[in-house]
Amino acid sequence: MKMADGSTILRRNRPGTTSKDFCRWPDEPLEEMDSTLAVQQFIQQLIKRDPSNVELILTMPEAQDEGVWKYEHLRQFCMELNGLAVRLQKECSPSTCTQMTATDQWIFLCAAHKTPKECPAIDYTRHTLDGAACLLNSNKYFPSRVSIKESSVTKLGSVCRRVYRIFSHAFFHHRRIFDEFEAETYLCHRFTHFVTKYNLMSKENLIVPISDGENAAPGESEA
Amino acid sequence: MGTNSGATAGINNKPVGGAGAGVLGGVGGANSSIGGVLSNSLGGGGGLSISGLNSGGQNANVGGLVTGMGSGNNMNDDGGNGMSGGPNNQQATTPQYTIPGILHFIQHEWSRFELERSQWDVDRAELQARIAMLLGERKCLESLKSDLTRRIKMLEYALRQERAKFYRLKYGTDPPQLNEFKPTNEDSGLTGDVATDSEVPYSSVSNTTWRQGRQMLRQYLAEIGYTDNIIDVRSNRVRSILGLNNNAEHDGSGGGLGTGGENISPNINGNESNKRASDTEGRHTPAKKQVQQASDGIIIDTEAAVMANFEFLGPTEMSDDDEISDDLEMVATDSDDTDVKLAKRAKSGKDMLTEDLEAEVGEQLLNDMNLINEEVDGSLGLGELAQLTVNNESDGAYDSNAKDGTGGSAGGAGYRKTWNAKYTLRSHFDGVRSLIFHPEEPVLITASEDHTLKLWNLQKTVQAKKSASLDVEPLYTFRAHTGPVLCLGMSTSGETCYSGGLDGNIECWQLPSPNIDPYDCYDPNVHSSTLEGHTDAVWGLTTMQNNIVSCSADGTVKLWSPYNKDPMLRTYTAAEAEGVPSSVDFVRNEVDHIVVAYNSAHCIIYDTETGKQVIKLEAAQEMSGNTGKFINKVVSHPTLPVTITAHEDRHIRFWDNTSGTLVHSMVAHLEPVTSLAVDAHGLYLLSGSHDCSIRLWNLDNKTCVQEITAHRKKFDESIFDVAFHATKPYIASAGADGLAKVFV
Repeated sequence: MKMADGSTILRRNRPGTTSKDFCRWPDEPLEEMDSTLAVQQFIQQLIKRDPSNVELILTMPEAQDEGVWKYEHLRQFCMELNGLAVRLQKECSPSTCTQMTATDQWIFLCAAHKTPKECPAIDYTRHTLDGAACLLNSNKYFPSRVSIKESSVTKLGSVCRRVYRIFSHAFFHHRRIFDEFEAETYLCHRFTHFVTKYNLMSKENLIVPISDGENAAPGESEA
Repeated sequence: MGTNSGATAGINNKPVGGAGAGVLGGVGGANSSIGGVLSNSLGGGGGLSISGLNSGGQNANVGGLVTGMGSGNNMNDDGGNGMSGGPNNQQATTPQYTIPGILHFIQHEWSRFELERSQWDVDRAELQARIAMLLGERKCLESLKSDLTRRIKMLEYALRQERAKFYRLKYGTDPPQLNEFKPTNEDSGLTGDVATDSEVPYSSVSNTTWRQGRQMLRQYLAEIGYTDNIIDVRSNRVRSILGLNNNAEHDGSGGGLGTGGENISPNINGNESNKRASDTEGRHTPAKKQVQQASDGIIIDTEAAVMANFEFLGPTEMSDDDEISDDLEMVATDSDDTDVKLAKRAKSGKDMLTEDLEAEVGEQLLNDMNLINEEVDGSLGLGELAQLTVNNESDGAYDSNAKDGTGGSAGGAGYRKTWNAKYTLRSHFDGVRSLIFHPEEPVLITASEDHTLKLWNLQKTVQAKKSASLDVEPLYTFRAHTGPVLCLGMSTSGETCYSGGLDGNIECWQLPSPNIDPYDCYDPNVHSSTLEGHTDAVWGLTTMQNNIVSCSADGTVKLWSPYNKDPMLRTYTAAEAEGVPSSVDFVRNEVDHIVVAYNSAHCIIYDTETGKQVIKLEAAQEMSGNTGKFINKVVSHPTLPVTITAHEDRHIRFWDNTSGTLVHSMVAHLEPVTSLAVDAHGLYLLSGSHDCSIRLWNLDNKTCVQEITAHRKKFDESIFDVAFHATKPYIASAGADGLAKVFV
């Protein structure tokens, strides 16, 4: 179909595409996306356009299933958190961070194991992300990307709670990495907004200080 | 021909032989001895000529003829019995016309006419068989047609469902006129169609008609003296009927020898199977005596087999006595399959109504369509696929191979199998750009746009609910890239793997044990080193012994030796006009050569030692308009000096490395071909495309053996990579939908 019409834009990253041109194509309105991955495409498009425009990225289009919207956003968060994990791998070692902590108040136990374990922070980070990847891709709980069972939507909250600890650990123990990462991606900022907006986490758990103002992220990184 | 004439001679001698036998019996031993003398003395030329005519005939018939001759001599003897042997001999010398001479001549002529007559009979039988066969063929084409219309209906239905679903998804409501009842209507419409097409819907074939048909079939099988040879014979065409004669005849002769005087009737039986005359006892007795005894089991088997065919073709077929439906088999079983699928489809349709799990049904639909595609592809090659180079020749061979079960394996390594999705690898958050198998273990690594690589062990699976495929959980996640990972390579030992990313880095990894605990402690040594040198995205990576070649969007191709102190060995840069390299591979049959595909749609082979260009692969007549011929992937044949390229213009092209010329070009997919893989023996080619399907090609005749719809689209991309396992029967595909699939 597309081949016949010369004027249609083919959104493809052909081999040899430079990193500058990667995914650089005109935006496609959500209504015109006819793929089962439309929501993911739409979210990634928004992020690509301006990662700092958190409000816009999190604004759910009309007639969008909220479960799917939350689910796709969380997938995107976990995916981008890989970036933070890569940076942490270089600095956060089991010898320096023997436990997953943020403030001194809590030691987080790693839920990836049969009995929750006191994993070192880097293991906690990796295990949590791997576990989230498995859960969010689980054929049992999330067999579809276009409709999600109510019972599965409740799982999103616990995933949010766990992955948030990666932000908090980075913020309290590897501030430089956190700030660099945040300046690039506004990820923690977006995540905080996301969980607040969709009520996925309670306020008292959001311990990384992010002001609600528009320019919160740059302000934080200076602090 | 010899065998035929033999067979018919046998039959035609029947009446005469019978008479002769009677006379012989009456006259007794003395006669026979005289007959013997006579035939020796005066027969001379005549006897010779007869034997000459009969030379082709086989044992039984010769026997028949001998009796015939004997009877002739007898009669002759009766006439001239008064005279002694002497006058006969004298007369033979003096005048031209002696009574024995005339008799002999008449006898000779008669036998000649008889022979000719039998010849015609054979011809007639042959032609009749042919007519029957053609009729059968027509019938089967008709049923095929109806079958195809049904398939079209099914696909239409699926499409409608999909549209409705999209509508529902988009607007959250049901489409205006497409209410929930529509599908059921549609369904009944479908079956209605079937009913009119094949006159009697199979659902109405009750138990009694079934039994009747079964009896009729048993009778039919008995009539034609069904032996196990016939199973082989079935697939052949005209020759099969001759072969059948042969069998029957041999049978007959065997029976004749065994049962003495009755050696005639089996012959009748053998031929009557073609003539289908109405002598009931003639065909029943031998059938009971031999076939039933000797090959009862076989009959039941074959009956079952034939039954299966008839079952689809319906009772009309059964009542049609003249049908010789050997050739229907192939198509009939084919249609049977579809039938099952139809049922399945109907079921999936119901699923759709009851539970609104879109994706699952979608998946099922996808699979179903997939199966249908496969079917169409493998056996019929119609529609759009026909435009592609899927040819129909292969299907005959394919089917008969499948039928015989032995034909396929005869070709040694050239076995054929149907690949089915077995494992689904879901754990990536974004498109899987590349995948590679471990050279020995059932282990593979995937690289994704979500910045990670994952290690999978196909032996560690989780049974997914409600589906035949197994889910595999990743064992290890490799994190180091700061952007999408685009390509993968693995050392020949399977200990090390390399990945190239959009960030311009090549990361080297020591593979963890395939039995590692997925939630083990982090071992920083897994990531052994980073090869820095490219200044832009690394798009292609390939390994040979301990060397890696990579190509990058920065325009360069680099050769690395990852364990050297200074790992970068060499950089190859083409002329500006060639543009950026898109893919690279080692030339497998020539050491130190690499082939690189460029934006210009040319491939260049370099000598890695000298860094010089060896040859440029370009097609003279295709020089004009290389736009759109962009090469997505280049692979080198493992044993031949052939380079294979996958193009944006939907083609796969084959190049001769020595002359640099285009050897073969074919439209391979409906959308750009993105990926290629050749199996370790160099017999099969696997291609993936943005049309969501992967195709398996026979490299020998460049025909498509199988098509599998494997992935969904994200934006305008679908399949990024395909791979063969080097030593185990696995193939895999990686898609933009974040999944990887393994087929067995």
